[in-house]
Amino acid sequence: MLGVRALFGIGLLVTSRGGSVLTHTGACARIASNIYSKDLTHRQACTMADTIKYLGQEEAQHIDEELFDEYSFSVDQLMELAGLSCATAVSKGYPLQSLLKSPPRVLVICGPGNNGGDGLVCARHLKLFGYEPSVLYPKRPSKQLFQNLTTQCEKMDISFLTEMPEVQHKPQRFFFHLLGWDVENGCPDGIQPDMLISLTAPKKAANHFKGRYHFLGGRFVPPALEQKYQLNLPQYPGTDCVHQLN
Amino acid sequence: MFCSKEEAVAMETELLRDYGFGRQQLTEMLGHACATAITQVFPLASLEKRQPTVLVACGPDQNGCVGLACARHLRVFEYIPTVFIPKRSSDALHQDLRLQCERMDLPFLSYLPTEVQLINEAYNLVVDAVLGPETELASVGEPFTGVLQTLRGLKAPIASLDIPSGWDADESSSDGISPALLVSLMTPKRCALSFSGAHFLAGRFLPFDLQRKYELNLPKFSGTDAVVQL
Repeated sequence: MLGVRALFGIGLLVTSRGGSVLTHTGACARIASNIYSKDLTHRQACTMADTIKYLGQEEAQHIDEELFDEYSFSVDQLMELAGLSCATAVSKGYPLQSLLKSPPRVLVICGPGNNGGDGLVCARHLKLFGYEPSVLYPKRPSKQLFQNLTTQCEKMDISFLTEMPEVQHKPQRFFFHLLGWDVENGCPDGIQPDMLISLTAPKKAANHFKGRYHFLGGRFVPPALEQKYQLNLPQYPGTDCVHQLN
Repeated sequence: MFCSKEEAVAMETELLRDYGFGRQQLTEMLGHACATAITQVFPLASLEKRQPTVLVACGPDQNGCVGLACARHLRVFEYIPTVFIPKRSSDALHQDLRLQCERMDLPFLSYLPTEVQLINEAYNLVVDAVLGPETELASVGEPFTGVLQTLRGLKAPIASLDIPSGWDADESSSDGISPALLVSLMTPKRCALSFSGAHFLAGRFLPFDLQRKYELNLPKFSGTDAVVQL
């Protein structure tokens, strides 16, 4: 049985530095004078020469703070996009048609922090995508945000388990993102997931990841933030909110 | 599937009051979905101008909030959106979303030129998020009447969010804005019955029992798509 200590997640929030405000007055014919072309060529150059950056704990926290303080995002917003990314990654790695059991059951284990909140959002989107998620949420914070997310799941008929189910035979696909690992050093005797969804940018611990699928999610990083921290994010395909890294 | 103004309002109230959703969440999901629909109808590669410029006109109410979220996602999808807000909003969410666009370095127009030629030349597409189904049309005055007049005269294609601005949500319209793309939010409104352009549905978050309660009979979204073409 997984101990509760294994369920804490790292803060996924990524901060970003505020960019300058551009206000154009006058005729719009002057608009779009290569404001962004620098960004686009930068991104193209990055994917050719540089690899994606793996963040340390302090950097990840700074990025979080900037996203809220300087870019004025709210937790609700980013958590929704993060959870959607996670559900999308699951459906790419474990498409409905490929699952042997019917109905396609998924267990989503949620810890007490923001990582758990991502999990609740993810469970809701998984239900909309046609999976049958159940949630194990042993320690629920009192913050309104998490209570709302729980209500949303309950109203979608997602069952909340009271304890970890016994695993009798080959289990349904479980996936966790960085549960119980040290953000930078990983955890050699910890959970070894099959899929890792790195949110915003991968953390150094992901260097120790040995599973089959490593996805990047959380497609909301402002270009100025990406440049400031030299994240070297790859180009997401089309309008996808995930990108497969391996 | 096509619902009335009252039903749309009742549904949204239930989502917020009984289902625990927050306005910020719903607005974010809708904005993201609208941007996705726009990329399907107007893919980057299809745009004629040298730069993938888009003008996003956002009114002061919920429709404008969705427009602001949409503008931000269009930027993430590598379009170059410029935002035009005809009238400052007193809504806190609107103000936050506006700030997020500013922090993402999106340019803002301080006024909308009345010479439509300037707009046609500068932008590949105009996103109309000015007025939504909740608007009382009789009370619409300046600056919106001027904005609508300009939009009516455009050659550049228009993508309207939820309903074309200035249309009555329950009636068909003969002399209003004629968008190339309509993205209905959550469920199409009755006025969309007379719409003849590309029509998409956004809002893949409606709980199944709410859909059943209002007898929405929505089409199935495929895979992980955020929108479905109607």
